[in-house]
Amino acid sequence: MPAIIEMQNLTVRLGNRVILDRLNGSLSGRCIGLLGPNGSGKSTLINTLLGFYPPVAGGARVLGKEVQHHLRELRAAIGYMPESDAFIADMSGVRFVRYMAELSGLPRSEAMERAHEAFFYVGLGEARYRKLGTYSLGMKQLAKLAQAIAHGPRLVLLDEPTNGLDPEARVRMLQLVREIRDTGEVTVLISSHLLRDIEECCDQVLILKEGRIAALCNLEEERKANLKFLELEVTQGNGFLESVRGLGCECASFGAGRVRIILPDNIDLRQIYRTAAEHEVQIRRMNYRRDTLEDIFLKAMAGSPQAQGSANGRL
Amino acid sequence: MAVYKRTYKAYSGPLTPAWSRFTVLSRYGLANLFASRPFTAYTVLCFIPFLIGLAYIYIVHSSTAAAVLGISVGNAMPGTVNNVWFVGFLGWEVAMGFILAAWGGPGMITKDFANHSVQLYLSRPISRAEYLFGKVSVLGALLSCTTWIPALLLFFIKAELQGHGWLWDNLWMAGAIVIGCLLWIATIALLSMTVAVWVKWRIAATALMLAIVFLLPALGAVVDLILRTQWGNLINLPYVISVIWAHLFRLDSLNRHHGGFDAIPLWSAWASLLSICAFCVWMLDRKLRAREVERA
Repeated sequence: MPAIIEMQNLTVRLGNRVILDRLNGSLSGRCIGLLGPNGSGKSTLINTLLGFYPPVAGGARVLGKEVQHHLRELRAAIGYMPESDAFIADMSGVRFVRYMAELSGLPRSEAMERAHEAFFYVGLGEARYRKLGTYSLGMKQLAKLAQAIAHGPRLVLLDEPTNGLDPEARVRMLQLVREIRDTGEVTVLISSHLLRDIEECCDQVLILKEGRIAALCNLEEERKANLKFLELEVTQGNGFLESVRGLGCECASFGAGRVRIILPDNIDLRQIYRTAAEHEVQIRRMNYRRDTLEDIFLKAMAGSPQAQGSANGRL
Repeated sequence: MAVYKRTYKAYSGPLTPAWSRFTVLSRYGLANLFASRPFTAYTVLCFIPFLIGLAYIYIVHSSTAAAVLGISVGNAMPGTVNNVWFVGFLGWEVAMGFILAAWGGPGMITKDFANHSVQLYLSRPISRAEYLFGKVSVLGALLSCTTWIPALLLFFIKAELQGHGWLWDNLWMAGAIVIGCLLWIATIALLSMTVAVWVKWRIAATALMLAIVFLLPALGAVVDLILRTQWGNLINLPYVISVIWAHLFRLDSLNRHHGGFDAIPLWSAWASLLSICAFCVWMLDRKLRAREVERA
C-alpha cells in the first residue's frame, strides 16, 4: 500500500519549544491512529500536515506531495475535523457545510446537494436546518464530521473526534469512522488519547511521546502475529513441555499448570492437542493471547522515545 | 453519497476555478450582513445624499424645476457643482460609509474568531490573503456602492446636463473621485479587519473603530495645543485623508486654508496614511492565523 503520510526528520518549533522532534516514518494504513498523552504533539502534527505550522527542519509528504509546496492541492484533498468547537453559531447546519464545501471548490448546486447528503449520512438529517449554536455537543461533533467529508476528500484528519461524547454518541461516531474507512475511497487519520477508539478503528498506529515517535506499528500485523501466541492451563504431565519443544515451539511454564507457547508457522494447533493426548495431559483452558493496544502503548510510554535515526521501528 | 444509500462516496465532479474561491467568502459575507434588517435599512439610507445630490444637479440645470419650486437659480442655490461641491458631497457619503464599515466590517471576522472557525477556512484550499481579500471585498463593494460609484454617476449626469466640453475640462475630477474614495475604502477596510482580528469581539471592535476616528483626533488636538504644533494632526485619520483629498481635488489655497487642510504638508499626510496601512498589514499578518501560538 502506498504511503499516505511520510515524515522525514520533521521538526516543528512553536515559540522556543520544540513540539515535534525529528519525526521519521511512513504511514500507509486505511485508518491511522495517532496516540499519545496530552501535549505529546498529536494536534501539532495534524496542523503541520495541514500547513498551519511550518517545520523548522525536515518535511512531510501527504498523498505523495510535499506539504509546504502543494498546500492548495493537498487542502482540497483533505477533510479536517478540529478538536475544538469550530463553526458559525448563527448559521444553519446545512448552510455551514455547504459553505465549507464551496470553499473546497464545489460548485453551488453540488455543494448544496452534498451538504444535505453529508448531514443525512452522519445522522443529522432532521436537524440540518437548525442553527449550529443550538446543537448539542454530540451533534456539533457530527456536524464537524459532515463538513470534513462533504467535499469528498481522499484523506480525513479527525482530531479527537469522540471528545466529550456520551457512550452512545461515541459508538455512533466510531461506527461512522469505520464505515468511511471501509469504503476504501478515503484514508482516515484519527488523533486520540483514548486507546479503545484507536483499537476499534485503526489498522496502523503512531504513538507520540514528548514530540517524538515512541512507536509505529501495524495493528493488523500485530494481531496476526499474536494469533500464534498460546496460553494454556494443563494438568501436570511429564514430558509434555519437552515434546512441545521438540515440535519446534518455544514454551515456558509459570507453575500451577500455566504454560505459554509460541507456535512456529509450520505447527498446527492439532499437533499440540495430539502431543497432549500422547502425554495424557488435560488441557483445561486455552486461549490466544495477544498484545492489546494498551500493552503496546504502555511499552511505548515506558521506553524512551526513539532517538534520531532509530525511529520508524516496530515494537 | 446519495441520501437513501447512506454511504460515503468521494467527489469526482467539476471544481470551481481556484482564483474564484474568495468570492464564496464575499457572497456569504454579504448575505450575512443583509440578513440584518437594521443594517439593510441603514445601507438604503446611505443613498439619500446621492438622491439629494441628484435632485440638486437637476434643479440647477432645469429652470422649470427651479421655477416650480420657487427657487431662483444662482441666488438661492448655495453654489455651483464643482470640485468643492463634490468634496462636500463625498464628505457626507464617507461619513455615512464609515458607520456602515464600523457596523458591518468587524463582525465578519470576529464571528470567525469567536467560533474558532478560521482553522476551518484555512484548512480549505484558500490562503490567508484570499480569506482576507474575500472579507475586505465585501466592505469594498458596499463602500464603493455608497461613495465613488454614486459620485461618479453624479459627475457624468452633471457633464451630460452641462455639455459644452465640461466633461473634458473636469475629467481629472473623475479620477480624483475614484482614487480618493478607493484610498479611503482601502484604509477603512484594512483598519476594520485589523481591529476585528485584534479585539475578536464585535462590539469592542466597533467601539475601537469609532474611537480611532473620533478620539484620536481629540488626542491629536491636545498634542497640538500643548506642544504648540500642528503635527498632532498626523494621528487624525479623517484629517490626513482630507489633506490628501484637498490636493487630489485641486482645492485652491483659499479653500484649503478655509477648511484647515494646510496645517501639515502633503507628504506627511501620505506618510501617515501609508504607515497606518502598513501597520494594519503587519498586524493582520501576525494575528490572522489558523492557530495561535502561545509563547511560553
